[in-house]
Amino acid sequence: MNEVLLRVEALGKRYGTVRALDGVSLELRRHEVLGLVGENGAGKSTLLKLLAGLERPDSGRIVLRGQGFTPGNAAAAADAGIGMVFQELSLLPNLSVAENILLGHEDGALRFGFYDWRALNALAAAQLAKLGCRISPSARTDSLSFSERQMVELAKVLAIEERTRHEPVILLDEPTSTLDAGQVELVLAQVERLRSRASVLFVSHRLGEVLRVCDRICVLSQGQCVAVRRREDCSLDELQRLMLQREPGTVGAAAVRASAPPAPAWLQVRSLGLEPHYRDVSFELGAGTVLGLAGAEGSGRDRLCRTLFGAEAPDAGDILLDGQVVRLAGPADAVQKGIAYVPAERQAEGIVAGMSLSDNMTLAQLDSVRRGPFIDLGRERQLVERWTGRLRITPAAPQTPARQLSGGNQQKLVLAKWLVARDPKVLILDRPLRGLDAGARADIVGLVRELAARGIAILLLADTLDELVAMSDSVIVMRDGRVSGRFPATEAAPSKQQILERMV
Amino acid sequence: MASLAPRRWLPARLLTSALAPLAVLLALLGIMGALDPAFLSPRHLAVLADESSVILLLATAQTLVILLGGIDLSLAALAGLASVLMALALPALGGIAVPIVLALTTLAGAFQGAVHARAQLPSVVVTLAGMGLWSGLALSIGHTTIAVAAGYSAVAWLDETCFGVPASFVVAVGTLGLLAAGLRWWPVGRRVRAIGLGPRAALLSGIRVDRVKVLAFALAGLLAGLAGTVMVARTSSGNPAIADSLLLPSIAAVVMGGTAMTGGVGGLGRSLIGALTIGVLRSGIAAAGVDPAFEPIAYGIVLVLAVALTIDRRAEAVTK
Repeated sequence: MNEVLLRVEALGKRYGTVRALDGVSLELRRHEVLGLVGENGAGKSTLLKLLAGLERPDSGRIVLRGQGFTPGNAAAAADAGIGMVFQELSLLPNLSVAENILLGHEDGALRFGFYDWRALNALAAAQLAKLGCRISPSARTDSLSFSERQMVELAKVLAIEERTRHEPVILLDEPTSTLDAGQVELVLAQVERLRSRASVLFVSHRLGEVLRVCDRICVLSQGQCVAVRRREDCSLDELQRLMLQREPGTVGAAAVRASAPPAPAWLQVRSLGLEPHYRDVSFELGAGTVLGLAGAEGSGRDRLCRTLFGAEAPDAGDILLDGQVVRLAGPADAVQKGIAYVPAERQAEGIVAGMSLSDNMTLAQLDSVRRGPFIDLGRERQLVERWTGRLRITPAAPQTPARQLSGGNQQKLVLAKWLVARDPKVLILDRPLRGLDAGARADIVGLVRELAARGIAILLLADTLDELVAMSDSVIVMRDGRVSGRFPATEAAPSKQQILERMV
Repeated sequence: MASLAPRRWLPARLLTSALAPLAVLLALLGIMGALDPAFLSPRHLAVLADESSVILLLATAQTLVILLGGIDLSLAALAGLASVLMALALPALGGIAVPIVLALTTLAGAFQGAVHARAQLPSVVVTLAGMGLWSGLALSIGHTTIAVAAGYSAVAWLDETCFGVPASFVVAVGTLGLLAAGLRWWPVGRRVRAIGLGPRAALLSGIRVDRVKVLAFALAGLLAGLAGTVMVARTSSGNPAIADSLLLPSIAAVVMGGTAMTGGVGGLGRSLIGALTIGVLRSGIAAAGVDPAFEPIAYGIVLVLAVALTIDRRAEAVTK
């Protein structure tokens, strides 16, 4: 039990200017379930990706069974005995359960290069038996329920055991985030069962689960392991406190927090639902206010935003703009009705990277620089120069390719896109500070405040609770597709602790 | 992921500047002129222009679709169908047949665009089906070459010359110029490029992507109809397969000009250079007495080389 199976030594990983991992060290012992907790962006998923061979570390090393180990791809990691169960299931729906379990490793079930179905099914059944579940190996995977598919995914990872003649290391990335309570129990029971056959790294947002199944818990924050606790020695409160420590580079909340006057509700959401992602969501968003939407992965807040931007139709409830029920036929329709969206995927969805700064800035409101049927290039240039100056975008040359701008300047460009002609009524900001350095963060935070002051209603999703608290007037929290907490602007600003309690 | 970092070859930078395709065209003309001075005589250049006009029209149509990030394989078949319809309709309807046939091919293009955009089917698939549909329709209506029995005068002017320049070439270049101006000064032109370069960002910017696609395919259909009309004027007849051999050269012309198959990058000026290069190549191969069977081989090689140089490998780890 005390033998160290996997050791991570000062692992570092950067994505552009973002330091996702900043020298993480931890140990995983044989037959241990080690919990990995931390806020969004703390580096949990990155760490798992490095261990599973999906990404390469920039610094530090991984030691497996006493030997240095750098997997070049997922297959190499699997050969060394490390298997990952993905957040999004990686099974191929049109294959049978047995084919999925042995995918890429069918050697034992081949005869003259052809599938020997009986042998294949027998091998798969042996894996499924380890988990004590009775799914037919010949069933098509898309005929299974979600939790059955999760079992198959686990069985697939357990198959590593036979191939490597080692007990596997299993990485579980949020295995319960999309499950209901009954299914969660099943998965937790599986984790218990895995303990006798494998060593498990268990990532979850739900601290209660972590405290139930993990022997030890490692807390990540800002890309570092800030604490390791044994289950017996720690409480939910302590974990929450540990998760929230240290957050440089954000702006003081109180300094920018505006006193909230009663404002007319630009956007009202009434009992909105889209099964199975979220249901019965209601809130009001007033002109000139910033509403923070908190929630973990799988809480439904991302899908809710997609709905509000017209990308996905709800199947229950109403959206009201300025008191009128609206039906959003698509993003173009939402834009026309005054809803603008600043996506988290800045490079792919925010800007057109291959176009110039100028082209990007007027893309959403080209009609405003038209003279007759033509674009008035002179007027466009004036408009672009005015806004690059106002937002201090550098380099300011209108023909600069957008992909050459820094992240902060790209984000300003995305915001400018919605401001050049007429202000939107509602602005949805999806993780607007993602990947920005401290200076750019402060710029964007200031800009968001300014936009609110101009009367735009802002719905904010943030990467960290610090950002959320700093930028929002009021906060609602979602968990498992429902609103689990409300902190209106009229009351004192919520603490991160209060929000987190309602998230997990 | 370092291993997936883009590899931009040095020639790629050369090719992405518009000068490189132009240099290729001029070099080719120079070589042909050195081999046979008559190749550069005004008379032969006029023949060259006349022969290039159909490819130019098809390449213009193809450019609009490729800039969107799609491809239209049906254009040559649609031009063939247009020629058959025109040959049948001219005797019966006279001059009014021209706008009617052009309207029909525009509708055919718009229909393909609508299927592609609404059903979210890849343009390759939709237009491959379209290619079968239009050529099958043309065959079932026309079967074989149909001579224009009467009413030829309505299109005859396309086969004449004006100050030594073939009228068909003037029409083709004029259309291309008009659309090139549109790409620059019409909002929809900007939107076409945005969709080609960043479809998700374009959609989330509130661009009505479906409409832009339908419009581009409709214009491509119109130009294919125009190409068919020019061929009727040149041969005084329609034929279901009249343009089939022009599909590959017209695509090669676009990529040779330096327009990227991935969309958004390039333009109609480049396609003009590309189409002229193809025209010189065709005529040169014949003049040099090389077996014309080598022609499609040359297009195939040109296609792969040009795409290899212009494709953006950053987009996806695995290219489908």
